[in-house]
Amino acid sequence: MRNAGSGGPETGSPESEMEEAVSAVAIAAVNLGVVIALAPLFEGILRKLKAVIHSRKGPPVVQPYYDIFKLLGKEDLKPTPSLIFAVAPVVTLAAVLVVAAMTPMGAGAGLPMGDAIVWIYLVSIAAVATILGAFASQNPYAYVGSSREVMMLLTAEPVVVIALIAAAVKAKSLMMSDMITFQVRNGPSISLVFAGFAFFLALQAQLAKLPFDIAEAETEIMGGPFIEQSGPRLALYKLAHYGKQLIFASVLVSVFVPWPHVPVFPANLIVTLGKVLVLLLLVGVIDAVNPRLRIDQSMTYFSRVALLALVALAFAVVGV
Amino acid sequence: MTGQELIDRLRSKFKQAVEGVREPVAGKFYVTASRSSLDRISDFLVNTLGARYVVGAGSDLRPRKGYFEVAHFFSFDGDKLFLALQTSVTNPKVPSITPTVPAANWAEREFRDVVGVVPTGHPDPRRLVLSDDWPEGVYPLRKDFPYDFKPPSEPAAAPKFTEPPDGTTVIPIGPFYPVLEEPCQLRLFVDGERVVGCDYRGFYNHRGIEKLGDSVLTYNQIPFIAERICGICGFVHSCCYCQAVEEAAGIDVPIRAKYIRSTMLELERVHSHLLWLGIAGHIIGFDTVLMQSWRIREPVMWLCEKITGNRKNYGMNLIGGVRRDIPKEVHPEILGVLGRIEAESKALVAAIPGDTTLVMRLKGVGVLTEEDARRLAVVGPTARGSNVPIDCRKDHPYAAYDQLDFKVAVYSGCDILARTLVRMDELFEAIKIIRQALAEMPGGPVQAEVKEEIPAGLEGICTVEAPRGECFHYVLTGEDNKPERWRVRAPTYANLQALPTAIQDETIADVPITLGSMDPCFSCTERVQVADVRTGGVKVMSHEELLALSRRR
Repeated sequence: MRNAGSGGPETGSPESEMEEAVSAVAIAAVNLGVVIALAPLFEGILRKLKAVIHSRKGPPVVQPYYDIFKLLGKEDLKPTPSLIFAVAPVVTLAAVLVVAAMTPMGAGAGLPMGDAIVWIYLVSIAAVATILGAFASQNPYAYVGSSREVMMLLTAEPVVVIALIAAAVKAKSLMMSDMITFQVRNGPSISLVFAGFAFFLALQAQLAKLPFDIAEAETEIMGGPFIEQSGPRLALYKLAHYGKQLIFASVLVSVFVPWPHVPVFPANLIVTLGKVLVLLLLVGVIDAVNPRLRIDQSMTYFSRVALLALVALAFAVVGV
Repeated sequence: MTGQELIDRLRSKFKQAVEGVREPVAGKFYVTASRSSLDRISDFLVNTLGARYVVGAGSDLRPRKGYFEVAHFFSFDGDKLFLALQTSVTNPKVPSITPTVPAANWAEREFRDVVGVVPTGHPDPRRLVLSDDWPEGVYPLRKDFPYDFKPPSEPAAAPKFTEPPDGTTVIPIGPFYPVLEEPCQLRLFVDGERVVGCDYRGFYNHRGIEKLGDSVLTYNQIPFIAERICGICGFVHSCCYCQAVEEAAGIDVPIRAKYIRSTMLELERVHSHLLWLGIAGHIIGFDTVLMQSWRIREPVMWLCEKITGNRKNYGMNLIGGVRRDIPKEVHPEILGVLGRIEAESKALVAAIPGDTTLVMRLKGVGVLTEEDARRLAVVGPTARGSNVPIDCRKDHPYAAYDQLDFKVAVYSGCDILARTLVRMDELFEAIKIIRQALAEMPGGPVQAEVKEEIPAGLEGICTVEAPRGECFHYVLTGEDNKPERWRVRAPTYANLQALPTAIQDETIADVPITLGSMDPCFSCTERVQVADVRTGGVKVMSHEELLALSRRR
C-alpha cells in the first residue's frame, strides 16, 4: 500500500517524491483555504452561542466576515512611525497562516506534516509579534496588556509544549502526523488522555477566552495590546486570532482525539472540522459562564496545569 | 444619648463658644458657634461623641443677614439626632476641620470654590468643583453672581495633579474609560501591576444645580430638577428635597402619599441594584451576568412607566405630597412583576457564592476596614459591607418607613463580596417592603394643600437612603417662593473619598471593580458644589502614603 505508515512511499523514486511534493502543496493550500475561509465562520458561531446564553439574539453568524471586510476598507492610522508597529500585524498573520499550512487537519493522512517544534515556534512568533507591536504603540494600556500577554505566554505555552512532547514520546516522532497515526493504531492511553486534558485547559488561555482574556481585558485596560490598532491592521489581527482558534482546536482534536478516523481525504477533513466545532462550542460555553481572572490568579492556575502536563509526560516516558 | 444630653455636654465643654441652639423639629439641632471654635467642636463631636460627618455647606446670606454662613452637618445615627454646626463669617476664613475630621475634606474645598470662604489649615487646598479654566476670585454661589453668567476662561488651564512617586508609572483612568459612565480622571501611580497611590480630578459634569435652586426656581419647580441630579436615583433626590422643605415649613404630608413615596423609593432600589449587579459583572468580564440581570430588571422599568409615565424621572413629587396615585387596579400587576423578578433574581444570586471564579475576583478585594469606613464617614452598602450598620430608613425615618417592617443587611467582610451580598439582600428586602406597603396603603388624599406662602428663614434637613447610601438635602427657605439655600450631598460624594484607601496596594485589574463596588454615581456627586476636597479626599490618603513611600525610598 502506498502512503501507509510513517515512512510514506519508498523514498528515492522521482515519481513518488514528485507526488509527495504535489500532495504536500495541495494539502497546504487546502489548509490555508479552510482557515481563511472558515475561521471567521467558527467565530461567528461562537458569538451566536454567547448570545443564546445571554438570552439575546446576537449578530448573524457571518458577522465576522462583515467585520473584517469593513475594517480592511478603513483608513490606516499609525500613531507612531515605528517599523515594528507597522509590520507586527503582518508578521502575526503570516505566522498563523504558515502554521495553518503545516497543521494536520485531517487532510494529511499518512503524509509527514506538522513538526511539533516548528509548530510551537511559529505559534510563539505570532504571539511575540503581537507583543512587540503593542510595545511599539506607545500607549500605557498597551504596555500593561503586553506585559500580561507575556505572562500568559510564559505560563500557558509550556503546557502546550509538554503535552505535545508527551505525544511525541509515545509516538517516537516529532511529526504530528505520526502522533495521529500512533493514536489511531494503538487507541487511547493514560498519558495522552492527561496530556490532551492539559492541552484543553491551556486552550482557553491560548485563545484568549474567559476566564483568561486577561491580556485584552476590555473593561480594565481597554483592549490591551490592540488599543492602537485600527482599520486594516485590526482586520489582520482579527483574522489571525480566528485562524489561531481553528488551528489550536484542530491540533487538539487531531492529535489527542483522532477518533473516529476516516482515512479518506475530504471526509477526514470534514470530520475533523465537526470535532473542532464541538470543541469550540465547549470553549464558548466556558467563556460565557465565567468572569475574568486576574493575571496572578491565572498564573497560579497554570502552574498547576503544568504539573498535570508533567505527570502526563512522566506517564508517557514510562510507557503508559 | 438624648438631644438634651448632647446639648448639655456641648455647652458644658465649650461654654461661651456655643452661641445659640435651636431645635425647630424634634431631634434636629442647629447650633451656632463662634468661628474660632469650629474645629474644636467638630473634633469633639466626631472623635469623642462618635458623630458621623455628613457634609458642609457655605451660604451667602449677606443680602438678608450681612454675613456668610458655614455649616457642618453631623449625624448621630444610633440616637436619631442631627446637629448642624453653623458659624457666621464676614472676613471669609474659617478654621479647617479636615485635620481632625478627614471626611470633611471635599466639603471644605467645595465651599471655598463656590462661596469663597477659605478653610485655613486645609491639607489639600486645590480646586475641587470649578473647572480649571474658571478664573480665581469669582465665586458662583454668591448672591451677586447671576446664574447665567459665564466668566471668561483662563487660558491654558489644566488640573493640578500631584507628582507620581519615583519609580512608578502613571496609568490614567478617564476622563473617558469603558468602566465609567461619566467622566472623571483617576490617575493611578503603579509599580508594575500594583497601585501605589492615586490622584483624582472630578466634577467634569458639574451643572450648578444648587445655584439654579436658589436663583431661578420656585419650590415646586425644584423637585423636577432634583430628579435629574442623578441618572438612576432621581426619586430619592426629589423626595429628600420635598421632605426637607416640608419639615422646614411644617407641612403635614398625607399618610397615603408617604406610602406611595416609600413604594416608589423601593422600586427604585430594586432596579438600581439589578443595574449595579450587571455593571459589576461587566467590569470583571462576566457579560452573562450583565445581560441576564438587565433582562430581569426590564419589567420594573415598564412598571414604573405604567405607574408614573416614565422609566426614570417620575415627576411624582411636589411639596406636600405626590402628584399621582397608585390605584388599586395596578397593585396586582406590581405584585406579579415583583414576584417574577424575585424568582429570577434568587436564581442569579444563589449562583454567586458558589461560583469560584467570581468569588476569587470579589473576595478580599477592595478592602475598606471598619475603622476606615467610620473615619471616612462612608455610607450605604459601602459602609454596611464593612460592618457599619447605618441606614437612614432606620436611623432617621422618613416617608412611611417607621410603619414598615424590614431588616438592614450588614456584612463584616469589608470587601467587594460583602458589598455585593448587602445589595442582594437589600434587593429582596425592597420587594418585601413594597408588598407590605401595597397591602397596608391607607386611603386618603395624596397631596396636602399648601395654602400659605412658606415664610423665609426656616431650615429643614432630610436624609433618604438611596440605593448608594445616604442622600442629604438641606433647605433654607427664602423670599419669593424659593429657597435661599439648597445644599445637596449625594452618597457617592462621601464614598468616593474612600476610594484611595480601598485601592491602595491593589492591582490595576482590581481598581475598576473596586470603584464599581461603591456604585459611583458621578452625576449625583458632581452636583455637590461643596468645595469639598473631593479630589483631595482621595488625595489626602495617598498624599500621606506617598510621603511615606518617598521617605522609604
